Amino acid sequence: MVDWIAAFSMPLIQNMFIVAAVACVLCGVVGTLVVVKRMVFVTGGIAHTTFGGVGLAYYVMSVIAVSWFTPMVGAALFAVVSAVIMALPMVSKKMREDSVIGVLWSVGMALGVIFMSLMDRSVVTPRSFESILFGDILLVGSSELMVIAIVTVLSLAIIAVFFRDLQVLTFDETHAKLSGINITVMNLVLYVLIALTCVVALNVVGIVMVIALITIPAAMSNMFTDSLKEMMVVSVGLSLIMAFFGLVIAIGADIPPGATVSVTMGVLFITAITVKTAMAKVGQGKAE
Amino acid sequence: MIPIKIEGLTAGYDGRAVFSNVDLELKDRDFLAVIGPNGGGKTTLFRAILGLIKPMGGTVKVFGEEPAGSPSGIGYVPQNENLDSEYPISAREVVLMGMRCKKGLRPFYSKEEKEAAERAMEYAEVSDFADSRISKLSGGQRQRVYLARALAPEPKILMLDEPTASLDPSMKDCTYDILRKLNKDGIAIMLITHDMSSISHDVKRVACMNHRLIVNDAPEITQEMIALGFHCIPELVHIGHCDCGGHNNG
Repeated sequence: MVDWIAAFSMPLIQNMFIVAAVACVLCGVVGTLVVVKRMVFVTGGIAHTTFGGVGLAYYVMSVIAVSWFTPMVGAALFAVVSAVIMALPMVSKKMREDSVIGVLWSVGMALGVIFMSLMDRSVVTPRSFESILFGDILLVGSSELMVIAIVTVLSLAIIAVFFRDLQVLTFDETHAKLSGINITVMNLVLYVLIALTCVVALNVVGIVMVIALITIPAAMSNMFTDSLKEMMVVSVGLSLIMAFFGLVIAIGADIPPGATVSVTMGVLFITAITVKTAMAKVGQGKAE
Repeated sequence: MIPIKIEGLTAGYDGRAVFSNVDLELKDRDFLAVIGPNGGGKTTLFRAILGLIKPMGGTVKVFGEEPAGSPSGIGYVPQNENLDSEYPISAREVVLMGMRCKKGLRPFYSKEEKEAAERAMEYAEVSDFADSRISKLSGGQRQRVYLARALAPEPKILMLDEPTASLDPSMKDCTYDILRKLNKDGIAIMLITHDMSSISHDVKRVACMNHRLIVNDAPEITQEMIALGFHCIPELVHIGHCDCGGHNNG
């Protein structure tokens, strides 16, 4: 039986909940834009390319001895570069989006494997593939938490400032262009925001399950809200609640936190769909 | 100044011309209907006027200037809006989107912008359902919301791409009532339509587009137009009673 008071008084556990809470706020807001603009697969592609950046960081740190090029810096570099490539008009207008995603996704992952095979393991001990791909929130240190918090605050500020343009862009891109919005720039802003969110989220759930943290709360929120702002707020709330329960279950059952948070979100998403469908049927029955 | 002046326009996609050498003028207080078969280039003509595609040849001038993606003075109501029915947005928010982008950061809509949107909603008769989620409105109500969005920045030209497609007869009549009123108030209107009743009752001039353009300065379809676009005679529609309330979820 877990001694919950003792567990919650541990700095490691407290740090875990703080990291998850900060990530949930950003994922809830950016996830809303991802869901309404149907960019879930784009997000998955960007998230997976970060593996190349993590591998590159381990290679640079161990072979070239550049200590500041941490795995998070490498992940951010690969995420932003892949996001910019996808958003550039010369790519997005000339090529099929899913093909571009497929190329970046697979090449990013492959580069990660190659860089990690070439690194000098006697200089730097890398995290395991499992930890990188499926997350290990307990390994997030205070300096990484600081970076995550700064990225979150900056991203939220950008969204607040450009909210009006982002709403038009995500609802009707042709109208956005006719309104005088520079859609190339706004698309770049949106893609880079998604890239930064992927980097924040992979600290909680790992590369493979980033989509869960970004998509599921926003998709659930979309079922019960009537405006974009409302959807963002509810998405953040749901994200925080589901992540909290996921982490508590993980501690109680001594199972991986990232995977548990993803499964918790998935189960509650299915429950929400079931409840909504049942409510709609009851409503229809009353109307008849 | 002539609202829209097109000379020798050739336009298309990926280097392939959809139409060529088109000349057209939209005059002050004009009400021009563009008819023609699907694929004849009507929507491409609109896209060239709006600056959404670059001409392959010739010129387009809107109030004397080349349109560059966001021509001022034009309100545009697109055809069968590819609306994401899951998008969480109210009719009022859609209309507010019509306010043109101004330079600088502007995270919120100003009082003046909100008032302009309210005026447009009253004109297009959408105020009663302004706070409803757009996906819960009927096709006719939604069409009027997009009309209000186009009217919000107080344009001098209104361009509509098949505004009455898939509307029931009473909703079509409502739409034309509003367009007639707008035209009387001085807005030049250019619309793509397959609705022959509107041509005889409302418009001032007719143009037929099928890879080339024929314009008649009277509201009549000529034999030459029928010959040009004969495989797509505009539909005859019922002219019914106007009931602008519409139906939700219709």
